[in-house]
Amino acid sequence: MSITARNIFEIADDFVLGLLDTDEQVQVEARIEVEPALAAAVAAAQNRFLPLDLSVEPIATSGDLWARIEQTLPSQSAPAPIPGTASDGGAAGRSAAGSGNTTATSPGNDPAAAGPLAPPAANDNSASPWRIGAILASAACLVLAAGLGWSLMRSPEPMVIAVLLNGAGEPQAIVEDFGNDTASVRLLSDFTVPDDKVMQVWTLPTRDMGPVSLGLLQQAHSATLAGPKLPPPHDAQLYEITLEQTGGSPTGRPTGPILVKGFAKLPR
Amino acid sequence: MLAESIALDGRTYAVAKTSLKQPSRGDAGLTDSPDQPDTLHDDLRCCADGDKNALRRIFDREAPRLVAVALRIVRRRELAEDVVQEAFVQIWTKAHQYQPERGSARGWIYAIARNRALNMLRDGKREDLVPEERLEILRDSEQMTEIMGSWHRLDRDGRLHDCLAALEEVRRKGILMAYVGGYSHGEIAGKLDIPLGTAKSWIRRGLTTLRECMA
Repeated sequence: MSITARNIFEIADDFVLGLLDTDEQVQVEARIEVEPALAAAVAAAQNRFLPLDLSVEPIATSGDLWARIEQTLPSQSAPAPIPGTASDGGAAGRSAAGSGNTTATSPGNDPAAAGPLAPPAANDNSASPWRIGAILASAACLVLAAGLGWSLMRSPEPMVIAVLLNGAGEPQAIVEDFGNDTASVRLLSDFTVPDDKVMQVWTLPTRDMGPVSLGLLQQAHSATLAGPKLPPPHDAQLYEITLEQTGGSPTGRPTGPILVKGFAKLPR
Repeated sequence: MLAESIALDGRTYAVAKTSLKQPSRGDAGLTDSPDQPDTLHDDLRCCADGDKNALRRIFDREAPRLVAVALRIVRRRELAEDVVQEAFVQIWTKAHQYQPERGSARGWIYAIARNRALNMLRDGKREDLVPEERLEILRDSEQMTEIMGSWHRLDRDGRLHDCLAALEEVRRKGILMAYVGGYSHGEIAGKLDIPLGTAKSWIRRGLTTLRECMA
């Protein structure tokens, strides 16, 4: 039975339950990379079943488990995830000896959901283009993590865009709400946040719901936030960022001073 | 700079804030997320930056549960720890690929460990290490108790508990055997003594019902 003919929710469930055969699993992993709807369905399925894992009785780990892990960690600054390098062979560990697919990953195309990984490169001879690519990718990742947050590669179009203004009416941030429970927040100026405070993003989906948190901006950086499930954003919906204590507002409602706010517009 | 602008703007914005808060009065408010996605998320980001302490923090918080999750699938303690070892190496090397818009950090971490465990099954290591007869005995006794117990341990007020309860028993069993125990369609069919096609369609229908129930 071909999985291509089935709807993405069924595929996502089978993927998360481990019911696909190896070929199908690999196909789905590839599709996740290019089909945001499938990626979202997989994430939703993961979250749906996660309580079964989280409610398990924990088991004390062997005393040396961490030491074993630490010994096999490749250095993050070296381009660790290159297929077929010697360090990968070592990292694969004794239990997976010979399978070669343990930690070897192709840079950049692994599904976030993990899974049986792409087959390792056929030779050990890590060609320099690979290496350079991986170094660049890794450097870019550091820059992103340090400066730009995680808002990368968003292919979907935002449903609404809000420009947030400060009290002087100057644009300070842009919120793009995608209507799929994610919103991208870009800061347009430097915010200095005290150590014991954090910036928290809010919206007012409906008067009845009241203000709802979309998430925190760690270290006052731009970010893509995965918020709660909300009605689709509408024209003139209010967005704002307040300054809250570390960890976010204790009441679930904005309590701190408003830094910026603005009303959404529909892109046309 | 910010402190000034707050001081300057505080009053005008206080008005705006009141108007934002007003309609909320008296309603239930936000439900707090039980896990701490921000902490795990931050630790993953630090891992991507090469901070081993961050990985250690994830290990301290999650490893005991991850070993237990892996054990339900691979059924041997040493193998379960091997799974978790591999998973942590993978969390480390793939931390920079984690994308929050694709689901929670915890879901991402557990998915990695689950996949390592399932791969170990598919590689046949479990069968190599456990004689077939013993495997059958294990499957019959502890394993099924453990699998069904996973459902009873769920928070009784939780959605998943209720929605699983609403399923026909055989469908619930099939779904739990797959997710919790890592059983394949074929193993489930054999275990429940039904034809393969029947097992597949029952599980699929069960999953559809579950999805609708939890939507």
